[in-house]
Amino acid sequence: MSHDTEFHVHHDSDAAVGRRERLGVRLLIVADGAFLFGMIFSYFYLRNLNAGGNWLPKGVKHYSATSAWLVAIPFVIAAITHRAGLRSKQARNLTSVVTLLALLVGGFIQWDQLAHMPFLLKDDGGVVSFNGAYASNWALIAGSGIFHYFLSAFIALGILIRNRTTNLPEELDLWRQRTAQSWFTWCAIAAILTGITLSII
Amino acid sequence: MADHIEQQLAPTPGERTAIFFKRTDVVRTSLLFIFWTAVFVVLGVVFYPKWMPLVMSTELKSAEAIMVWFTVISAPIAGLVLAITSNAFLNMHRGDTPPPDGPAVRTNGPVVAVWTITSLLFALVAIIWGLTEMNGQAVAAARDAKSAITVEVTGSQWLWTFNYPAQGIETHELNLPVGVPVVFDVKSADVNHSFWPVQLGVKVDANAQVTTVIHTTPTKIGAIDVKCAELCGLYHAYMETNGAVMSKDDFNAWVTAQGGHNA
Amino acid sequence: MSTLDMTSTHSRPVPHPKRSLITRLHMGTGVVVGIIFAALAYYALKSSLLTYTDKVADPLTPHTDNIVLLGSMFAWSIGFLVGIGAFIGPWRWMIGKDLTDEEILYMAGDGQGIKRYFKYCTDHKVVGIQYLVGVMTLLGVGGTMAMMIRTNLARPGGHFVTATVYNSLVGLHGITMIIAMIIVATGPFGNYIMPIMIGAYDMAFPRLNALSWWVLFTAIPVLCSAWFLGGIPTGWTAYAPLSVQAGPGMNAFVATIIIFAVSTAVAGMNITTTVVAMRTKGMKWNRVPIFVIGSTISVALAIPAFPTFMLAMVQTGLDRTFNTGFFDANMGGSGWLYANLFWIMGHPEVYVILIPGVAALMEIVPVFVRKPLFSYNAAIMGFAGIAGLSVLVWAHHMYIAGWAPSLNGPFMVTTEMISIPTGLLFLVLIGTLWRGKPWMKLPMLSVFAFIWDFLIGGITGIYLSDVPADGYLHGSMYVTAHFHFTLMGAALTGAIGGLAYWYPKMTGRMLNERAGYISFWFVQIGFNVLFLGMFMAGAEGQPRRVMDYAAVFAHSNMISTIGAYGVGIGMIILLWAVIHSWTKGTIAPMNPWGAKTLEWTVPYPVPLTNFDELPVITSDPYGYGKGK
Repeated sequence: MSHDTEFHVHHDSDAAVGRRERLGVRLLIVADGAFLFGMIFSYFYLRNLNAGGNWLPKGVKHYSATSAWLVAIPFVIAAITHRAGLRSKQARNLTSVVTLLALLVGGFIQWDQLAHMPFLLKDDGGVVSFNGAYASNWALIAGSGIFHYFLSAFIALGILIRNRTTNLPEELDLWRQRTAQSWFTWCAIAAILTGITLSII
Repeated sequence: MADHIEQQLAPTPGERTAIFFKRTDVVRTSLLFIFWTAVFVVLGVVFYPKWMPLVMSTELKSAEAIMVWFTVISAPIAGLVLAITSNAFLNMHRGDTPPPDGPAVRTNGPVVAVWTITSLLFALVAIIWGLTEMNGQAVAAARDAKSAITVEVTGSQWLWTFNYPAQGIETHELNLPVGVPVVFDVKSADVNHSFWPVQLGVKVDANAQVTTVIHTTPTKIGAIDVKCAELCGLYHAYMETNGAVMSKDDFNAWVTAQGGHNA
Repeated sequence: MSTLDMTSTHSRPVPHPKRSLITRLHMGTGVVVGIIFAALAYYALKSSLLTYTDKVADPLTPHTDNIVLLGSMFAWSIGFLVGIGAFIGPWRWMIGKDLTDEEILYMAGDGQGIKRYFKYCTDHKVVGIQYLVGVMTLLGVGGTMAMMIRTNLARPGGHFVTATVYNSLVGLHGITMIIAMIIVATGPFGNYIMPIMIGAYDMAFPRLNALSWWVLFTAIPVLCSAWFLGGIPTGWTAYAPLSVQAGPGMNAFVATIIIFAVSTAVAGMNITTTVVAMRTKGMKWNRVPIFVIGSTISVALAIPAFPTFMLAMVQTGLDRTFNTGFFDANMGGSGWLYANLFWIMGHPEVYVILIPGVAALMEIVPVFVRKPLFSYNAAIMGFAGIAGLSVLVWAHHMYIAGWAPSLNGPFMVTTEMISIPTGLLFLVLIGTLWRGKPWMKLPMLSVFAFIWDFLIGGITGIYLSDVPADGYLHGSMYVTAHFHFTLMGAALTGAIGGLAYWYPKMTGRMLNERAGYISFWFVQIGFNVLFLGMFMAGAEGQPRRVMDYAAVFAHSNMISTIGAYGVGIGMIILLWAVIHSWTKGTIAPMNPWGAKTLEWTVPYPVPLTNFDELPVITSDPYGYGKGK
C-alpha cells in the first residue's frame, strides 16, 4: 500500500466521540485543578508563614469576603442555565443567552475588582508594588478568574451562535453541550473554592 | 522459576532442590551472584572511606556508616540482578534470525511474593536505620543545648560571616573547640545559600528573614572547609572559606586574639 | 467498540479544499506572524510603559523591561500559532461552520509529501517524526553544553568560559535536557507508534496533537533567546529569590516553562484519552502492550504535576514584572513556597521521564528473548506504585532547607517505599531474561546497559533518601551523578533502545548496526567513567554547579571529563547513524524483529489511517515460548 490509496475521514458514532471529548476535557480540568490547588496552597502557606508580619501589613486595605463570592455567583448561574439548556434546542435558544450574559457580567465584575485593587503601593519611580503577600495572592487568583471567564465566554458564545445559526440536528450537537457542561461545572466549583479561600483573610 | 523441571520429573522436594542447583545455568548464576555481591561489598567498604574527607563529627560518621552499610546490605540484591543479567548476556544468541523460543513462563507467584517482601524488608531497614539516627541526633541536640556554643552564620553573595555572640567576635573563618557541641543559627542576607562545613557532615539552607538551625559536635582536631551547597549566583563556586577544629586552649587563644572574651 | 463506519464523503488522493485558509498556512507564515506579533507587543508595551514612567530619570526600570520582554515572548508564541493556523478549528467551531471532511483530510497532510512536516499536520505519524527531530536537536544542544561544562571543569582554575557563561550553561543544559527527556519517548514513540499499537486509526484529538508539538516548537526560540539576553544564573531549578533578582535572560526561562507546560498538558490529555477510549476491539486492559501502559501512566502523571511548575513560573514572572511578593521575604513571601511548588512537580517529573524508557525496554525484552514478559501484573503494579508514591515524596529535595524539619521523617518513609515498586521493574526484566537466549541486536544491548545503570542510580538513591546521609551529600556532585544515572543511564538508554527498535517502522530502514554498536560502547563506558568520577568528587565534598574547585578534586574531575568526551564521541556516531541510515540504510522488512504487537502488522509507509480495517485482538502480544 502506498500514498495514493484513497483515504476517508472516519466518522465515529456521536456517543463514542462524546465520551472521548468528555474524558479529554476532564483531564484538562485535572490540570487546571492542579493549578488551582497550587494557588490555594500558596495562599495558605504564605498566610500561615506570615514572614516578617507581611501577610497583610498594618493599615493595608483588603477586599471583603463578599467580593470573592460576588464573582463566584455568575459562574454558578452559568453552570445552572447551561445545564437547563441541555433539555432541548429550543430551551437552549434562551439559556445560551443567559449563560453568556452571566459570564460577561462576572468577567466584568472580576475585571473591575482587579482594576481597583486597594492594596497597591506606588513608589517614586512610578513602579507599582503589591503591599504584602495577601495582595499578591489575591491578584493572581483574580487573574486566573478572568482567564476562566474569558475562556468560558468564548465557549458560551460558540454555543449560542451554533444553536441559532446552524441546522445541526439536536442529537448531533448534544455531546458538545455535555462536554461544555463539564467545563462550566468545574468553573463554578473553582469559583466557589476561591471564594472560600479568599474569605479566610 | 523452577516449575517446569519440577513437573517433568516429579521428584521429592529434597531431590528437587538438588536438581535445581545442579542445572548449569543455576550453577553459573550462583557463581556470578557470588562475584557481583563481592564486587558491591568491596565497593562499599573501600570506596567511601577512601574518598570521603576526614570524619570530624558524629554526623559525618553516621552518614558514612549509612553509605557503607547500605551498599553492603544491598549487595546481595544487586548481585542477584546482575548475576541473572550477566548470565543472560553470556548466553547471547547472534545472527540475523531470532533465537528459538524460550520457556513460556508468564509469572511465578512465589518468586514475585518473595521478591516484594525482600524489598519491603530492605526498605524497612533503611527507614528504621534513618529514623533511629535522626532521633539520636535530635536527642543529642536537646541534651547539649545548654552546653553548646552558638555561632550565627550569615551567607551573603558570596561570603560567609560567622558571629560568636557569647565571645563577641565576628570573623570569616570558622574555628571551633573540639568536643564542645555547637549550634549554627543560619540566615541569608540576600538569596538562598546552603551552609556546609564539609568535614562536619551537616548542612542547612540559609534563607532571608528566617533562621534555620543545625547542631553538631566536632570530635577531631583538624581543618574544615566551609562551602556553599546551593547555587547562589555568579561566584557560587568561590563562596567558600576555611576554619579549624582546635583544642579548647587554642580556641580560647584565638578568641582573645580576635578581641573577644572567653565565656 | 465497532464505532468505525468509514463514510466516504470525499475520496481522492490529494484533497485541496478551494478557498480554505488552511491550504495557505505553514511554518513560514507562522514565523512571520509570530515575529509581527512579537514586534507589535514589544513596541506597544515599550511605548506605553515609557509614557507611564517618563517623569523619572531611568524610564525603563528592570521591571518594565521584564514586562516588555515577557510580553513579546508570549506574543511570539501566540502569533506563531495564529500564523500556522492552530486557531482555525476553534474559530470555525465558534461561528458554527465546522471543518469539512476535505479540509480535515488536507490537515492530515494526505498526499503532501515532505511539506506536511512543516504544516499544522494532524497525522500522528507526522507529529511523531516532528517530535523525534525536535528531541534529537534538543539532546544535541544540551549535550554540547554538557561538553563545554566538562571542558571547563577538566582542571582546577579552568577558565574555558566566564562565570556568567558557565552558570548559563549549567542552567540551560539542565532545562534543555529536562524538556528533551520528558518528551524523548512519549513524543516520538508515543505519537508515532502507540496509536498503531492499540489499533487506532489516529489519536483522539488530532488537532490538539499538532498543537502540542507546535506549542513546544515555539518554546525553543524563546529558550534560545536566553543566551542573547545575558543567560540565566539559577540552574534549571530556578530557585527564588535568585530567579527574581536575575537579569533579563530569566524571562526567557519563565516563558519557556509556561509554554512547555501548556504543551505537556495538551499532549498528556490527548495520549491518555486515546489509550482509554480508542483501543481496538478485543484489546482489554490486560492485553495492552506494556509500553502503552507505561507511557499512559507517565503522561497521566504529568497532567496534574506540571501545572504547579507553571504556577511557580507565573509567580516568578509576576514578582519580576508587577512587583508581587510571592518569593520576596521582605514582602511576606518565601523561597520555601517556590521550592515546594517546584518539587511537587519536580519529583513526579523524574518518573514521567523514567517510566516510558523502562516501558520501552519491557516491550523489547520479550521480543529478543522470545519469552513472555515475566509478570505483566508486577510491571503494572511497579509503574502504578511509582506514580502513586511519587506525588508524596517531593520534600526529600528539601531535607536541609529547614522549612519543616519535623516532616523529614515522614518524607523519608515515603521515599524509601519507592524502592519496592522500583524493585518490581527489575524483577520483570530479570524474570524475562532468566533462562532466555537474548538475541544480541542493538535494542537488546540497551536492556543490559539499563539494568546496570539503573541499579547504580537506584542504590545511590537509597542513601540520598536517608536524611543523615543527605545532610552530607545534598547539593554535592554526588547528587548530580545519582540523577544522571537514573535520567541518562536509565531513561535515555531506554529511549535509545526504543529508537533502535522502532527505527525500521518510523523510517522504513534499519539503523546501521556497526555504527550503533560502536556508539553504544563509547556512550556506556564513557558514561560510567564520567559519573563514577562524579560520585568520587561528590563523596570528597565538591558542591554541584561550581565552575571551579580545589586541587583535592582534580583527579575525580579529570576522570569525569575524559568520560564525558567518550559519551560525546559515541553520541556523534549515533547521530551520524540515525541521519545516514534514514536515507541510505538497508530497507527494513515489515516485521524485522518478529514481534507480535500491532505496529509490525502495518507496512511502511504507514497508511494515513494505519489500518484498512481495524484489527481484532484475542490475546496479549507476549505469546512467545514453548510449553503452556
